[in-house]
Amino acid sequence: MISYTFIQVLISGVLLGGIYALISIGLTLIFGVIKVINFAHGEFLMLAMYFAYWMWHYWGVDPYASVIVLAALLFLIGAATQRGIIQPLLRSPASMQIFATVGLSVTLQNVALFLWKADYRTIQTAYQASKITIGELAIGYPRLVAFVGATAMTIIIFWFLKNTFTGRAIRAIAQDRMAAMLVGVNQKRMYMLAFGLGSACVGVAGGLLMPIYYVFPTVGTYFSLTAFVVVVLGGMGDIRGAWIGGIIIGLVEAISGFYVPALKEAVYFAIFILILLFRPSGILGLGRGFEEVAQE
Amino acid sequence: MRIRLMSCLAICAMVVSLGFVGADSLAEAAETVKIGAIYPLSGNLARLGEESYRGAELARIERNAQGGVWGKQVEYVVADAPDTNAARSEAERLITRSNMKLLLGTYSSSLAYVATEVAERNRVPFFEFGAISDPITERGFKYTFRTCAPASGFGTIAVRVIAELAAPKMGMTPKDIKLAIVYEDSLYGTTCAKYAKAEAERVGMPVVANEPYSAKTNDLSPVILKLKAANPDAVIHTAYIADAILFSRQAKELDFDVKAYVGQGGGHSMLDWAKAIGDVSGFLNVDFPQFKINKAYTPGLDEFIKLYEDTYKEPPHSGHSLVNYFGAKVMFDAMEKAGSLDADKIREAAISLDVPEGQTCTGWGVKFDPKTGQNVRALPYGLMWTKDQEQVTIYPPEAAVAEIIVPMPTWRERGQ
Repeated sequence: MISYTFIQVLISGVLLGGIYALISIGLTLIFGVIKVINFAHGEFLMLAMYFAYWMWHYWGVDPYASVIVLAALLFLIGAATQRGIIQPLLRSPASMQIFATVGLSVTLQNVALFLWKADYRTIQTAYQASKITIGELAIGYPRLVAFVGATAMTIIIFWFLKNTFTGRAIRAIAQDRMAAMLVGVNQKRMYMLAFGLGSACVGVAGGLLMPIYYVFPTVGTYFSLTAFVVVVLGGMGDIRGAWIGGIIIGLVEAISGFYVPALKEAVYFAIFILILLFRPSGILGLGRGFEEVAQE
Repeated sequence: MRIRLMSCLAICAMVVSLGFVGADSLAEAAETVKIGAIYPLSGNLARLGEESYRGAELARIERNAQGGVWGKQVEYVVADAPDTNAARSEAERLITRSNMKLLLGTYSSSLAYVATEVAERNRVPFFEFGAISDPITERGFKYTFRTCAPASGFGTIAVRVIAELAAPKMGMTPKDIKLAIVYEDSLYGTTCAKYAKAEAERVGMPVVANEPYSAKTNDLSPVILKLKAANPDAVIHTAYIADAILFSRQAKELDFDVKAYVGQGGGHSMLDWAKAIGDVSGFLNVDFPQFKINKAYTPGLDEFIKLYEDTYKEPPHSGHSLVNYFGAKVMFDAMEKAGSLDADKIREAAISLDVPEGQTCTGWGVKFDPKTGQNVRALPYGLMWTKDQEQVTIYPPEAAVAEIIVPMPTWRERGQ
């Protein structure tokens, strides 16, 4: 009985980790390339979840089927944010950029509250409570889909950055903005592309999470804090790190939630602080100095 | 030049209108009784604050139509208190500037807590109709009276529903029922859990699990797995909406079934929760009186609903209007009996009120505890969700319109 329960806790932890990874990949991508922490990332997730909800509500579109549309929509929103808000502030101090994204986050929350009210909206699908059972163990189908989605997204984005011309250009500008610009990389375009891609990831996340959770104007805050921990743990700017970091935080949360529930949050924020103190570049981080938000 | 002309006109208009108001109130002063009303009518709490105010307002309209109090018409001087600072300053203002001798309100516990404090300090009686936090009437105030049920009643009634309705139906005694108490760890959840535990001990029901969690969590599977290991017969769960949805969905995923599951208002009273789960038939809940209740136990309920619809051209949004309507009626009775707004006479009259249960529109009786000012004949009701996502009253038996279904259907039986 104990071992069965323990394995079930592990399964739950890994699946929860998949959800955290799903949200963190976009955040870490944006940070890695543009060196901007997008505090409105959670609100982008909120928008994606609302879009998924409305598509289901009005046209009966399954949230999984709406993932492509959501990614495209969020890509546009992300690119527009970069062009309209971040780009003009690129030469300002880091604190200015943080204020701008925090402002955007509060604005989006309130616009959502105004347009869609504070109601908790959920989607009902035929598969939402279906699960795969192995003996006494249960794996929820929507959570498994979210986990597989996060893994696939990690692989695709990693491959894109490594093996395509555009991907290499993005990496070049992430490594050295000046040098990349000197060899002809279009900085504005690459930044818009990177911010768009990072936001598209959270668009996918919105579609994959809607069958599990609910959407309301401040749902982003439920996830964004954890996403920051994951990004720091995995190494800021590292896609694979975000995946691994997500799984670790998911496991930590599930195990501490089972054995020491009162300390659940304390445990992973303690990990957060320890990482910042002793390995600020994260598990797979890009090396010291890269963790700073500072601009040249 | 133009601007100056405009402002002159504006000032003239203001002076004239002020003059009218002045004349108006002078003429009426002799025939009206003024009472200060404090509600959150803007901000976060406005939605249910407004609904609460409507209830008190309907009682006033009805009372005036029947001749008012001491033959005089009743008038509310309304103050908007969206937060505790406003509640404090508005209570001060109503008492010192507007010279109010009696206050009512407020819907929200935090607002009630500070507003009653100001009133007590000024020896002004305060009638609270809707705030449930226990400490409001635990400070030994002489002039604070609460007409509605306190939070402690929720945990108590939840245990009674299990002990008095569920257990006998399954051929068990309360001592055979293993109880698990699950709650979100803010003041709301901990209060409900505390009183549920106390009542369980009183009836001898063993508590096999006591699990707090943060309402902001993204994953309740650890909690559910622990419950599964404890294998309870019944669960009492205090939750807001997000965690109520998450708990039910994950319980379904992990096949966590119990014979009886009782919510504590909050998320389990909301249609958003029922919609998210789908088939909620047999889920139990505890809350203020709902409209699906034995009408013989709640005389005047239909009249209230009709009055509401006639006045506001829509059905009541929630039971908040009803409990405020009830509270205001009780307050008017106390005033009538006191003969004046003198604080001690009002107190004496309020304490002497004695109405048994089952004779008012909420089914609640009236008997104020002289030590606390709490109406001891107001307790929340036991409710059950139906297949049509409605809540019907099941407890106490005199107020019931449906019979409890235990053991409740398992997740597998509910299907998708």
